[in-house]
Amino acid sequence: MDHPPLTLAPEPLAAAGTSAAGRGGRRLAAWRRPSRGLLLVLPTLLFLGCFLVAPYVNMLVMSFRNPSTTAVFAPGFTVGNYTKALADPYYLGVLAQTIALGALTTAICAIVGYPVAYHLARTRSRLRGLLYVGVLSPLLVGVVIRCYGWIILLANNGLINNAVKKFGGASHGLPLMYNSFGVGVGLVHVFLPFMILPILSAVQSVDLALEDAARSLGASRARTMLRIVIPLSLPGIQAGAILVFVLSISAYVIPILLGALKVKLMPTLVIQLLIDAFLWPFGAALAFILAATGGLIVYLFIHATGRLMRGLG
Amino acid sequence: MTTVTISGLTKRYGGAAAAVDDLSIEIGEGELVSLLGPSGCGKTTTLRSIAGFVEPDAGQILFDGVDITALPPERRNIGMVFQNYALFPHMTVRENLRFGLEMRRVPRNEMTDRIDQVLDTVQLAGLEGRYPRELSGGQQQRVALARGLVIEPAVLLLDEPLANLDAKLREEMRFFIRSLQKRVGITTVYVTHDQAEAMVISDRIVVMFDGRIRQIGDATEIYAHPVSREVADFIGLSNFIDGRVTSRTDADYYLVNTPLGEVRCRSALALAAGDAAMVMVRPESIRLSREPPDDAGSNRIAGRVQDRFYLGNIAGYRVACGDGSVLQVQEEPWHAGAVGDAVWCVFPSDLAWIIRR
Repeated sequence: MDHPPLTLAPEPLAAAGTSAAGRGGRRLAAWRRPSRGLLLVLPTLLFLGCFLVAPYVNMLVMSFRNPSTTAVFAPGFTVGNYTKALADPYYLGVLAQTIALGALTTAICAIVGYPVAYHLARTRSRLRGLLYVGVLSPLLVGVVIRCYGWIILLANNGLINNAVKKFGGASHGLPLMYNSFGVGVGLVHVFLPFMILPILSAVQSVDLALEDAARSLGASRARTMLRIVIPLSLPGIQAGAILVFVLSISAYVIPILLGALKVKLMPTLVIQLLIDAFLWPFGAALAFILAATGGLIVYLFIHATGRLMRGLG
Repeated sequence: MTTVTISGLTKRYGGAAAAVDDLSIEIGEGELVSLLGPSGCGKTTTLRSIAGFVEPDAGQILFDGVDITALPPERRNIGMVFQNYALFPHMTVRENLRFGLEMRRVPRNEMTDRIDQVLDTVQLAGLEGRYPRELSGGQQQRVALARGLVIEPAVLLLDEPLANLDAKLREEMRFFIRSLQKRVGITTVYVTHDQAEAMVISDRIVVMFDGRIRQIGDATEIYAHPVSREVADFIGLSNFIDGRVTSRTDADYYLVNTPLGEVRCRSALALAAGDAAMVMVRPESIRLSREPPDDAGSNRIAGRVQDRFYLGNIAGYRVACGDGSVLQVQEEPWHAGAVGDAVWCVFPSDLAWIIRR
């Protein structure tokens, strides 16, 4: 599973969005003014066009095709796939569960990751390099292998449950896997670095003297965190939250391995529909519903958090 | 108003030499004391100990006789101004000023009054809605001062507050801070490495080297009567002439035999004939003359002009003397000497100061 490119910039993503638009604008300008620059971007454009834009367009078109039982799709176009999905409480429920699990994963990553990021940003320990490796360690091993690691721990006859059965008295063990708990554990573990790294760089940009200033003005450590450090590192929290959220709601391998198919999430459902049921138009529509919902939530999140960051230039 | 007493303050970082070594000083009510010294002399560590950011290894800090050494910074009732101002970038000027008052749970309407008043004092009325990045360096500086003052702290601590301003503004702000401090009457500790700043602003200057106090005194004492060559060297330019005491002439005056001749000097030290002595003469204390002076009370050293340079406000000379040593002289800018002239370096015995070697 490939992760999307990781941005560590502590700037608000809203700003990153506009600068991406700015790059697009420059690319257009290059079109208008033929030059050698065009030749330089041509390979990239071709690559992106073939392997990113074309498949997306294909999927988008597919989602408006008529379903067929004998072929991939039947002739003609329809919005029926979308209306069917949006009218069915089952699919809406799966969507809601996907979003809820993504939001919960994001929140837990933020709560768990912030203290780590803060410590890492402020420590002068010689073990700092080692701490970095520790933070990045979930990314050093492939996602499948990491999941099997969790299976060893969480399975019904896994390490924890065997210990619990032996010493804890719960004869059936605890439901640690094949439910949203297990999937949540896997998601938090794997995506935590994507929360920590942006916060880390945001905290590093908060001048230590600001903390001293707050203390000198009568603020306790806790109040200094709440009023000064956390508000000033919001851009990092925002960036990390968006990364973790987007990665969580589109995660496939972790839900499959740790949730089997007992935890119904959009990515697993979409793959099921495409590969097992061979319902390409409907699966494509579901995929776009997930993408659109995720995009909308991210947009609203940027809007809401942007208001909190008004003073940050 | 508050007195600050520091006794036996010592701080070591790691196993290295002490950053601050057994430092004791008493700062009176409403007094402005500067800690002056080169970087690494321990002045900032001392200030941060008073603020509570540095936990001393030994010694006490007392405000009005109450030991506050164990208190965290937020419970010391200090106002602090940082070198880079440390204004909260996500808050407007008014919110920056309100922060300390909120922490002290000052009632809302009193808050507004106090903020308006202090903004007026630092001449920033009208800018309270701006964010720090929308202000000039000088304005940010004054916001930082206002933020430290609005909480009406017992002690104001300033850590190189003018270091980031350009030269012109820096000179203006010296007077501004001094007059503000006098008006408010707040006990103040001021850290700087800029001697002129310390001299303009302070009631007393504490000169520090290697974590120790080398001299405490007002600007005149520090400049005219340094206790050591180190202090004299750090503050202004000096000529040093080695010699031996030959005799005592008056209460504080001695004759010192030097390679450049016998010099009559002043000293606060109790010296005996034969003691090694170092005579310090500031370049601006020396007048150049073609004729030997009539006045028998002045010291005179013969020499030849080696270099002349013009700085606008002074004319500088380097005069080579008999034994090959060079005296630096600062004359009036219109003084017309030329390289190669045979001259007498003339200086009153009042302005020749003996430092023990």
